[in-house]
Order: sequence, then C-alpha cells, then structure tokens
Amino acid sequence: MKLTRTKHYKAFASPLLQNNPISIQSLGICSALAVTVQLKTASVMAISLTLVLAFSNLIISLMRNHIPRNIRMIVELCVIATLVILADEILKAFFYDISKQLSVFVGLIITNCIVMGRAETYALGNPPGMSFLDGLGNGAGYGSILIAVAFIREFLGAGKLFGYQIIPNLFYNMGYENMGFMQLAPAAFIIIGLLVWLQKSLEKE
Amino acid sequence: MFKRFQSIIFALITAFVCSLLLTGAYQGLKPLKIQNMAADRQLNVLKSVNMVDENIRYTVDEIKKIYENSIERLWINREGRIINDNEKKPQDMPIFLYMENGQLKGYVIPINTRGLWGKIHAYLAFEKDGSTIKGFTVFKHSETPGLGGEIEQAWFRKNFIGKKIVNPKGKFASISIAKGKVGESIPEDRRLNYVDGISGATLTGRFLTAGFREILSDYESVSIHFRNNSIRLPGMGSGIPVKTK
Repeated sequence: MKLTRTKHYKAFASPLLQNNPISIQSLGICSALAVTVQLKTASVMAISLTLVLAFSNLIISLMRNHIPRNIRMIVELCVIATLVILADEILKAFFYDISKQLSVFVGLIITNCIVMGRAETYALGNPPGMSFLDGLGNGAGYGSILIAVAFIREFLGAGKLFGYQIIPNLFYNMGYENMGFMQLAPAAFIIIGLLVWLQKSLEKE
Repeated sequence: MFKRFQSIIFALITAFVCSLLLTGAYQGLKPLKIQNMAADRQLNVLKSVNMVDENIRYTVDEIKKIYENSIERLWINREGRIINDNEKKPQDMPIFLYMENGQLKGYVIPINTRGLWGKIHAYLAFEKDGSTIKGFTVFKHSETPGLGGEIEQAWFRKNFIGKKIVNPKGKFASISIAKGKVGESIPEDRRLNYVDGISGATLTGRFLTAGFREILSDYESVSIHFRNNSIRLPGMGSGIPVKTK
C-alpha cells in the first residue's frame, strides 16, 4: 500500500488542506488575527499550538475508555489547560522576550476552538497514535495559514521577514512606503479571506 | 449512584495529577524565570539611559555586566537625600544612579502607576541637571495592543528625550501626554513639558500623565538637589546635603 493511502497519513494530511481548521472550518481565527504581525511570534504560536494539540489529543485518547461521559468536557479542559500552562511556563523560562510579545495569547490557546474541537470529535473516538497524528496535522494546518498570513503582513507592513530588513533602503529613498494597514488586525481578516477564496477556487478545478 | 461516585473519583485523580505537574513545572522553572525577569528590568533601566542598542539582543550575562558597571541602585529618604541599602526605612523610595567611569551622569526613577487596564511599570531617566529627560522605557503593562499598548513602542518613548519637567521659570511642571501632536495643541512656552499623544489611547495617556505628576512630585525633593547641584552620594560624608560647587 502506498504511504498516501494509509489511514495514518490521512489523519495527518487531511487537516493540512482539504479540512484545514482555519480556512475550511473557520476555527481559531481570533489568535490568527492577533499574532500574525510578525513571523517570529506567528511561528512560536504555531509550534506551541501544535504541541498542545498533539499531546492533548494523545492524552485524551489514552484516557478515552475511562473518562466518565458526564464529566468528559471538564476532564478535557483540565488536560488542555495543564498543557497550555506548561507551554507558557516553558516559554517564560527559555524564550522570555517572545513570551512577552505573545502576552495573553499563549494562555488563550485554552480557548482556541481547535483544541477542544479535536478532543471532542476525534480523540474521544480514535486510538492514541491516530489522535496524535490528527493533532499534529491540525496544528500544522493552523500553523501554515498563520505563517502565510504573517509572511504577507510583515513583508508588506514592515518590509521585514523574521525581523530582518528585506526591502532595501534604496527603495525607501525612491519613495516606497510600508503599507501601514498590514500592521492592523483587519488586514489579517482580508488576507485569510483571500486565502480561503484561493483554496476554494483551486479545489473546484 | 456508583457511576456518580466513579466520576467524582476520576475528577479528583485528574485534578491531582494535573496540579502535581503544574507545581513541578512552576517550581522547577522558577529560578530561570526570576533570572529572566530581573534581566529584563535591568535591560530596561539601561535602555532608559541609552546604554544599550535596542536592535541588539543581549544575553542575561551581558546585561548583568553592563548593568553592574554603570547602574547603582540606592534609596532616597524623605529629605531627598540619597542613602545606602543599610540606612533604608520602609517609606524610602528607590532610585538608580547612572555612572560612567565613576562619574555621576544622571538618575533613573521607577514609574509604577495605574493604566487603563492594569498597572504600568516603566522607568524615566534624567540628566544630571535634574530637569531634562534622558529616556523612557515601559517594561510591563496591560494596555490594549495597538492602542494604549503603543506606549512601549520606540516612536512614543523617543518623544520624551530632551523634554523638561520644569517650566521656563524653573518651577516643577511634570511631564504630560498631549492629546494629539504637541505642536498643534499646546502653547509654545509649555511644549517642552508635553509629549505627543497616541491616537485612540487618550485614557492611557491621561492615566500616565496623572502617574507622572504624582510620582515626579514625590521625587521632587531629590530632583531639586540635582538641579541645585547639591547632590551628595552616600559614603561621602553625612548630614544635610551641602553645595558641591
């Protein structure tokens, strides 16, 4: 059997494009607006969310046959919240300046609908390995949109990528100006909208 | 009945395991976090006196080295006299002296004040003349990103450099945030006591203005000594400050 036919591959790959959490399911848009001004914060957010999502899926899936139905959401939240606080603590200890820039948004991973949504719809009904891959896939799907948006916003808004000047000073001297609008949250909305449009129109063909 | 009991036990076990994990992580990473926070404060003091390049990332050790070479943290008492740690009484206020090659170059006072959504923690640095602002940095706040949050941005902080906290007659006038641009809204003789405001953040500006007024008037007693050039460092004789001119 080809790799692309296995169900493990499907669990990982389907949320990357045809079932992308942001562009198709419209989940987790709030944080996508907030942390995409710079590529650096967007990448850290993408990595943090992917790890939280993968491990919350894994843990909940391991416990899925033991969690009493009536308190399952409380247990899910407990697991997710613990993982998020762990991620926040680790960032504060090892990447202090980035954690300062991300400020409240790491804590807000808890409220990111993707995490709870995958726990409810996938991890509760599938074995641990598959759930872990599903978490990785969804995180990567979310992250890829975040990084694409941040790339456009930082490039057009500040002329930089990862904080390094890309557009040479010569251009500025000749009258080129940064697009201030890209620094504001509505710009992320518009870019996400354009990405959704692009994806849908490509899919039709 | 049994099912309900089972749920409670399960919830208790989950909560116990989670809290164990969190306590472990919190305690284990605490020394690193404290180190980072201390370094961040030191970096901001250094930024306010323009001792570090804002575009360069410094390691914790580098910050500590520059800080220890050029900043001395002391206290001022009620009379505005600078004192050592060992003479400190509870009501005395902290002050940072900025030295270069053993020469006093200026001083930094911590600004901890109310903002719109929470406390604003900042540093305001002065030249040795006791009236000219050398720099301003914000290291912690909870203002809205993009609006009041702009107070931590370089463009806003740069406005403070060279401004005065006294009017042309030499009387204390504090430093205030204007509504809009200083050049458009403030009469010419008072422009040195104002910095450009942030559009969309009038309230943050108002809180900051009030905080500056309150804190700077508390520190007036020491600023006056700097203005009159009658400052005395601890360990250089005791008693009432004497003119050094």
